[in-house]
Amino acid sequence: MKLDDRLLKTHPCPCTSTRVNYNDRMGVQAIEVKNLTKVYSNDFKAVDDISFAVNEGEFFGFLGPNGAGKSTTMRVLSTLLKPTAGEITIAGFKLGPQDDEIRGSIGFAMQGVTLDDMASAWENLLLIGNLYGMTKQETQSRAGELLNILNLEKVADSWVKNYSGGMKRRLDLAAVLMHHPHILFLDEPTEGLDPAARRVIWDYLRDLNKQGTTMFLTTHFMQEADELCERLSIIDNGKIIITDTPANLKKEADGSLDDVFIHFTGHGIRDEDVSNKGVDPYVRS
Amino acid sequence: MTEFSKIKYLFFRGFKQATRPYAALAPELIIPLFFFLINSSAFQRLVDLPGFEYTTYLQFYAPVGLLTAIFVSSGSTGLEVVTDISTGYMDRLFLAPIKRWYIVFAKLAAVGLKSATLTSIMLIMFMLFGAQFNGGIIGLLFILLFAFIFAMAWAGIGLSLAFITKNPRVVQSAFIFFFPFSFITTAQLPLELLEGWYKIAVQLNPVTYILEGMRAILATGEIGQTVFVGLLVASGFAVITLSVATYAFRKSIVKQ
Ligand SMILES: Nc1ncnc2c1ncn2[C@@H]1O[C@H](COP(=O)(O)OP(=O)(O)OP(=O)(O)O)[C@@H](O)[C@H]1O
Ligand SMILES: [Mg+2]
Repeated sequence: MKLDDRLLKTHPCPCTSTRVNYNDRMGVQAIEVKNLTKVYSNDFKAVDDISFAVNEGEFFGFLGPNGAGKSTTMRVLSTLLKPTAGEITIAGFKLGPQDDEIRGSIGFAMQGVTLDDMASAWENLLLIGNLYGMTKQETQSRAGELLNILNLEKVADSWVKNYSGGMKRRLDLAAVLMHHPHILFLDEPTEGLDPAARRVIWDYLRDLNKQGTTMFLTTHFMQEADELCERLSIIDNGKIIITDTPANLKKEADGSLDDVFIHFTGHGIRDEDVSNKGVDPYVRS
Repeated sequence: MTEFSKIKYLFFRGFKQATRPYAALAPELIIPLFFFLINSSAFQRLVDLPGFEYTTYLQFYAPVGLLTAIFVSSGSTGLEVVTDISTGYMDRLFLAPIKRWYIVFAKLAAVGLKSATLTSIMLIMFMLFGAQFNGGIIGLLFILLFAFIFAMAWAGIGLSLAFITKNPRVVQSAFIFFFPFSFITTAQLPLELLEGWYKIAVQLNPVTYILEGMRAILATGEIGQTVFVGLLVASGFAVITLSVATYAFRKSIVKQ
């Protein structure tokens, strides 16, 4: 599928209640994290005093083994989880007192698909657009545009539960992009996609990034990180081990990004893999 | 205006969620009708009891059928919310720049509407089977009000369990409360014909007053004290369960 030019047009954020004048924000770091710690209610320290910053318009990667604390970090940055400690600024807004402004500026494709299964793609997107304060007209044209780009037009009216995994993934991304977010959090966005579909998503993400969207990506596909990211952090056991460009990291490990990953995080399979993969959805504190 | 529109969209979504898949509506229509038909036939001879003022048991039992309709139509709310939590859809809603109470409020309003709709369908069915409705338009509005308020009250129990446990099995098991709340009432016999501890238990059960309020509308159409006491009790029930649900929502769902 060839991505068309419409993609490359920049869209102002249409949500009036949360409109941000990004021209005034030039030079502001898109994501600024100082000494973030997250301890879950069972006293487990999933993120341990990390600090980093992502520049406006940067494509930033966040790599690490299963259970390293990537999703936890993203859930904190996206306002879904409260940090135990730390000072965080997203799009120039302070996490905590300005959560609403942050929510209006970001899109978060969570690990796993989060859609209303018993509704159509249209219904899913129209609700989301409305909740972000878009007018009916804006919502409809944006939904149509995204369904077209992500090749879901034909199934737009059937219930999501009948979709394939890849279709759900693409619709999930559409839902995240409805309100033209300025910063995108992507938690394993191409998990479960076939190589062709993955390419489509990569191209699309790259284009969005060219238009100015800041990207914060986690992935277990090293090729994905290598192709897309300008800078990478490697996190393990809740701590950031190193942050650098893919090129420098590869130089340091003298090999591919796979080698980099293993070089910095060790060889063992993580215990967390067991407890973390069939994620118990009922324990989400 | 946009804020109202957000609630409206969440309300429509909540309503659709409560009615899909459409096949799942079948038991909600069948169970009240089943109870109504079986019991009104089985216990017809009870009208011969001295002190029993109805000439047909069917007429006496019709409001119990309506009450059952309210119970079953609102009983799946907790499960629907647990599904939203476990699929992560609740998080998707939390990410939107909205007040989080909109989500619960809209869902409850949707459940109220669903229950009121199902209750009016049941009322029509019961009338087709010979029940009398003496309430007129005003009476019908009051029946719908009962359905709307008590459905939210009942949904509050499922919601509370959903937010506290986030576990579908626990939430599903809340339906067992249906038995004491709906059986230990004046469902089978009028209060005057009850005795002993059972009579006391019936008098302590708030649902008794809700049932009697609806029964009064069906029987006499008079909107008097019984009706208002019933509505007051239903509202009190709702205030309690929804306060617990709100507390649980804030405590366990809103970020920790
Ligand atoms: N709700 C929770 N309560 C307690 N511990 C949790 C909770 N959620 C996650 N954890 C733990 O926190 C750690 C980090 O989990 P997280 O989901 O952030 O890892 P991740 O880096 O995203 O891993 P993956 O690559 O497998 O997605 C894990 O050890 C996990 O078991
Ligand atoms: Mg993860």
